[in-house]
Amino acid sequence: MSDFENMIIRQRKWMLYLLAVLVLGTVFTSHPRIFNSLLLGASVSFYNLWLLQHKTNAFGKTVAETGKARGGLGTFSRLAASILAVLIALRFEETFHIIAVVIGIVSSYFIMALDGIVQFIKHNKSKNPQ
Amino acid sequence: MEVLAAAIAIGLAALGAGLGNGMIVSKTVEGIARQPELRGPLQGTMFIGVALVEAIPIIAAVIAFMAIFM
Repeated sequence: MSDFENMIIRQRKWMLYLLAVLVLGTVFTSHPRIFNSLLLGASVSFYNLWLLQHKTNAFGKTVAETGKARGGLGTFSRLAASILAVLIALRFEETFHIIAVVIGIVSSYFIMALDGIVQFIKHNKSKNPQ
Repeated sequence: MEVLAAAIAIGLAALGAGLGNGMIVSKTVEGIARQPELRGPLQGTMFIGVALVEAIPIIAAVIAFMAIFM
């Protein structure tokens, strides 16, 4: 399995862990509005992450096989998904908190950054064992 | 006035993201077409680059819609 495939599997795994924690927070804490909003945002973020991974893989495959760039990366689909989440939060204000939705939407970027940092540290440790 | 602010926010963010994504994707396509065996690492780099570039227009679009509807 290539580095890219390993990376996307790791990122999906971390997103699923985050979604599981948010579901537990929604059910068991006394702040269901905040956790509902985080869950909505993180779900959209997971969709965005999956779409970008899928499109990047398909794009790379096409370029490697044909030598030409065919198809896009789904930028507008991701923008539309994020805007839909915000509109849902604005429409059902009694159920969702808008700032928490925005924090949920950017959660996949935090996960990507954390995954990158962890892999960087692991790589450095295996290179220079103390 | 809110609609104008939203239009400027989304327009400028899309302009920047378009330029950034274009640069990243063009270099990746060039690299993969030249050396298809390096597809994995190049795809990984492109993936991280595109994701980071696209975070800004997504947040800009969210803020623009908040400016219109709040």
